[in-house]
Amino acid sequence: MKKNIAGLMLLVALSFAHVASAAVKVITTTEDLAAIVKEIGGDRVSVEALARGYQDPHFVEAKPSFILKLHSADLLVLVGRELEVAWLPPLITQSRNTKIQPAGMGYLDASLTARILDIPTGQITRAMGDVHPQGNPHYWLEPGNGRRVAQAVQQKLTALSAADAAYFSQRYADFDRRLTEAEKRWRAMIAPYKGLKIVTYHRSWPNFADAFGLDVIGYVEPKPGIPPSPAHTLALIEQMKRQNIKIILVEPYFDLKTPNAIARDTGAQVLVMPPSVGGVKEVTNYFQLFDYDLNLLVSAIKQSGA
Amino acid sequence: MGDLALAQVVSFLAAPFVASLILTGIHAYLGVHVVERGVIFVDLSLAQIAALGATIALFLPGSTGDPHAPSVYWTSLGFTFIGAAIFSLVRVRRSRIPQEAIIGISYAVASAAAILAMSKSTSQAEHLKDMLVGNIIAVSWGEVAKTAALYGAVGIFHFIFRRQFLAISMQHDEPERTGLNVRLWDFLFYASFGFVVTSSVAIAGVLLVFCYLIVPSVAAMLYAESIGRRLAIGWTMGTVVSAAGVYLSLILDLPTGATIVCTFGVALIVMWFVRPVLKRA
Repeated sequence: MKKNIAGLMLLVALSFAHVASAAVKVITTTEDLAAIVKEIGGDRVSVEALARGYQDPHFVEAKPSFILKLHSADLLVLVGRELEVAWLPPLITQSRNTKIQPAGMGYLDASLTARILDIPTGQITRAMGDVHPQGNPHYWLEPGNGRRVAQAVQQKLTALSAADAAYFSQRYADFDRRLTEAEKRWRAMIAPYKGLKIVTYHRSWPNFADAFGLDVIGYVEPKPGIPPSPAHTLALIEQMKRQNIKIILVEPYFDLKTPNAIARDTGAQVLVMPPSVGGVKEVTNYFQLFDYDLNLLVSAIKQSGA
Repeated sequence: MGDLALAQVVSFLAAPFVASLILTGIHAYLGVHVVERGVIFVDLSLAQIAALGATIALFLPGSTGDPHAPSVYWTSLGFTFIGAAIFSLVRVRRSRIPQEAIIGISYAVASAAAILAMSKSTSQAEHLKDMLVGNIIAVSWGEVAKTAALYGAVGIFHFIFRRQFLAISMQHDEPERTGLNVRLWDFLFYASFGFVVTSSVAIAGVLLVFCYLIVPSVAAMLYAESIGRRLAIGWTMGTVVSAAGVYLSLILDLPTGATIVCTFGVALIVMWFVRPVLKRA
């Protein structure tokens, strides 16, 4: 009798395992990509992000579970453009999962179809200062790129699970429609302040600024990871005073000391603005990211009277 | 991790675990020297000098900007040897300036110089720091085999000349009277030590390497006097702590390197409190 029950339980467990394995297992590096995969994959995929939205995606401390998750993944979606280069490549190798190796079917570099800014043209010389040879990796902060990434995800999921092709295509169409509506709303929110000049901490916002008509005129951090020199900070303060710049955007994982000092001197406001889904508790999907950031920005502008 | 078989989990952590055993083997031994010499932070200093070398290598003509290029490795090794030469030259008998001061100064200047170099580099600066510091969870079997071979060679070298190496570390005035070339052996010690530390930091990170070096050696001094016994205790402690650290990082899903470091701290505290109890018994 005992044996029968054990056998029955095993059978139940196996059938559950079967149902579970029917869903495409997707691992993404960031929560932004996970949010987009969820929009397209619905209940036909299981999706999990490695980095949390409040972490700096350039530096993520690997945990044992990362390798185990990558090992059992059917699809890995990454931001690319060297954003994850410091931590992801050894984990992919160590996962011993042939599907998600760079040449495999289950490897999707979401940047390949996105509109990438800041790509240097011609010969890169030292005089140009810090340059990402492959362009700026923070491209998801432009709704148009959310759509492009969603389309790439739809095509990849269709290739991996042909039986669900119609489902994915319908969900993409729905996402596309909702995004187009939201874009109208977002543009209307920010329209009165078109051409507003701002300063940002890191070079995370070129796509965001481009999409919503903002003008980033300087950076608190002259080069990523390098403390600003006094000359740079003084020049920035001068420029902000001259051009009457009242907004400094800072990503949640950077130290506020220098931005606050600059703000004291210039009367500007420091806005801690999440560049990713999961950057603050309220932002749990791709739409809320723009709702939250634009609301924050607009209310700061109204307050400062800029 | 639910649906993953235990054997599978073990197979993923096998390489990091074996790597941690290799680290225990060489560092617990070198740690005895370092603690005897009273140059506790020499590994941090040499690791920082090596990092400076790697940063500067990216500037040299012909650099492709790839931090894993062979030229970067050789430049950083060259800097390590310069550091070793400095440390062996500043060791002056009955000097008023402690050697630890020179080591501290080297650390600070090398770190700052690396920041200056990075502020002038064209690209990769934001990743460079991370690439020089390894993560033990991501170590591959190839790296484990290469490291085992290198450290085996260093270990044999130290075993053959153990008389000289122990003499310069343990007795501070005696070697000069017996006609031993202290500067030469000091240089060979720091050079081989720097070579090991640079390679270890690249696979395991600075914090973890420091712990493997110092903690087993200090823990062993609580219980034993002779070198042989101290090595036996240090190696045992390193092995047990590595196993416990890797296991804890797995079940609690914490970053592996930092978990091993904290396990070392807890183990040392436990050994500290157990000692009087054992002494009384």
